[in-house]
Amino acid sequence: MSDTRLTVDIEKRLAGFRLAVRLEMGAEIVVLFGPSGAGKTTTLNAIAGLVTPDAGEMALDGRLFFRKHRSGAVVNVPARKRRIGYVFQQYALFPHLTALENIAYALWRRRDAHRRAETLLERMGLAHLADRYPHELSGGQQQRVAIARALATDPQVLLLDEPFSALDPAVRERLQKDLRNLQAEMNLVVLYVTHRLEDAFAVGHRLAVLREGRVEQIGPIDQVFRHPINHHVAAVMGLRNLFRARVMDSTPEGLRLDWDGLRLEAMPQPVAAASIVTAYIRPEDVKIIYPDRPLMSAVRHNQVIGKIVERRSQADLQTLCVSMPNGHELEVSFPVHAYTPLRLTPGEDVRLSLRREGLVILHPS
Amino acid sequence: MIWQPVILSLQVTAVATFFILVIGLALALVLARSRFAGKTILETAISLPLVLPPSVVGYYLLLALGRGSPLVEWTGWRILFTWPAAAIAATIVGLPLMVQASQAAIANVDPALENAARTLGSSEPAVFWRVTLPLARRGILAGLVLGAARALGEFGATLMVAGNIPGRTQTLPLAIYDAVQNRQYDAANQMVLLMTALAFFALWFVRRIEQPKRPRPSSQPENTTA
Repeated sequence: MSDTRLTVDIEKRLAGFRLAVRLEMGAEIVVLFGPSGAGKTTTLNAIAGLVTPDAGEMALDGRLFFRKHRSGAVVNVPARKRRIGYVFQQYALFPHLTALENIAYALWRRRDAHRRAETLLERMGLAHLADRYPHELSGGQQQRVAIARALATDPQVLLLDEPFSALDPAVRERLQKDLRNLQAEMNLVVLYVTHRLEDAFAVGHRLAVLREGRVEQIGPIDQVFRHPINHHVAAVMGLRNLFRARVMDSTPEGLRLDWDGLRLEAMPQPVAAASIVTAYIRPEDVKIIYPDRPLMSAVRHNQVIGKIVERRSQADLQTLCVSMPNGHELEVSFPVHAYTPLRLTPGEDVRLSLRREGLVILHPS
Repeated sequence: MIWQPVILSLQVTAVATFFILVIGLALALVLARSRFAGKTILETAISLPLVLPPSVVGYYLLLALGRGSPLVEWTGWRILFTWPAAAIAATIVGLPLMVQASQAAIANVDPALENAARTLGSSEPAVFWRVTLPLARRGILAGLVLGAARALGEFGATLMVAGNIPGRTQTLPLAIYDAVQNRQYDAANQMVLLMTALAFFALWFVRRIEQPKRPRPSSQPENTTA
């Protein structure tokens, strides 16, 4: 991460919960990820100046643009003077203005407005659509105009609220790549709000998980995904098969866990013996053992026989709900196209292996 | 002979329309964009002239503009039975049509668009002029035309506060009443025709502007390059 440029530390009482967000960002794309109602949009609005926090401070490159405490002078630079680019959820393009006029909106009264707007339009690959009205543009084109409009005044910060969620996958992928290029080109501080983990992986350098108004964890995306700091983060990230277990043994060779009577082996992880930990295993890391196939080393460990409770089919994934001897249920998933000689219907027994590498201990917060 | 009331009516209506525009737009903006205690009561009060008998509106205006009213004592205006009193009556009855139409039109403008304008550097007046007003202009114009037409046709309250003095406060509707009373049917016919034509044109115009100029895209916008 490069030097810190934007710092946000704000509180606001909202219906149902309290927003208390702390963020430090450099010139990078931070994905603000969380379920709907976690306060993502309110956070963006507060940074943009459309919502006033009850207390806190915000600064860009060392200059305060918001400060409010119990005592002391209040700083609250109005939205129009913050020069923070904001791409709204439904684009919010002005329907009475053409694509070019939308981009030129903020350049009002500037002599080079027209030329600059044209340059931006060209940069977004939309030069031929300058005279179209927003309703004459496709969703992807509207999104590009919205980004160009937000960048017209050369902001240092760009906020995006669920920018690509309404677009089809091919368009989304191209725009995500575009956004990464733009960020690098213009050295922008980008805060990108989404509730889709795929988006987070596609564009973000770092991931901030927001839950009930708080940043639970922030870090490189991979790290947050692999090592959620607590079960809240794990749940928000859509992780299944969370369980509490006691650490029986913790050595450089590995861990031995006791999950309510089920003995499990895991890779070495920094936890103390005898402590109670929250752990998880992804459904795809629970392997079904087929009696007619040689036992591969990957599935040597943690074998257990369970009873199938339920079977669900998604587009390209099968999911089994398996009742374990210790009384808990485990989700198992495997690709639809996997050949299976087993019946795998509810009521049948199935032999499973919980991959040793897949057993992850959540870091206590 | 009918020109005097026509000119007077135009004068009264022009002044009334100006005030309907300014006061109506301000009220519509406040009612559409803010919430406050007593908002519904204010809305109801503004709409009252639509349903009250003109004589009741006229009576209130007599109280407000007559001798002994605090307003008159304070400002020193003696405008009863002059044409400005007719203009005030016309403003009061035309205002609710303007407020209702503009309030609805302004409320219809997506607040996200106004927020977008703010993040793009617009002050509040600029947001109104460059975003809210252009997007609500059809509704505002429709309300203004309806309000003006109603002001032009005002009869009862005008009679009570401005009287029916030929050449000074006798507007077209009053002149028509007089003409019929005096069996001057030629003059009555001309003026009735003129009033009907003006009212018809106003309503036709409102219908026209309330139809969107560009047809909204019915299904998918054409997809060239995303």
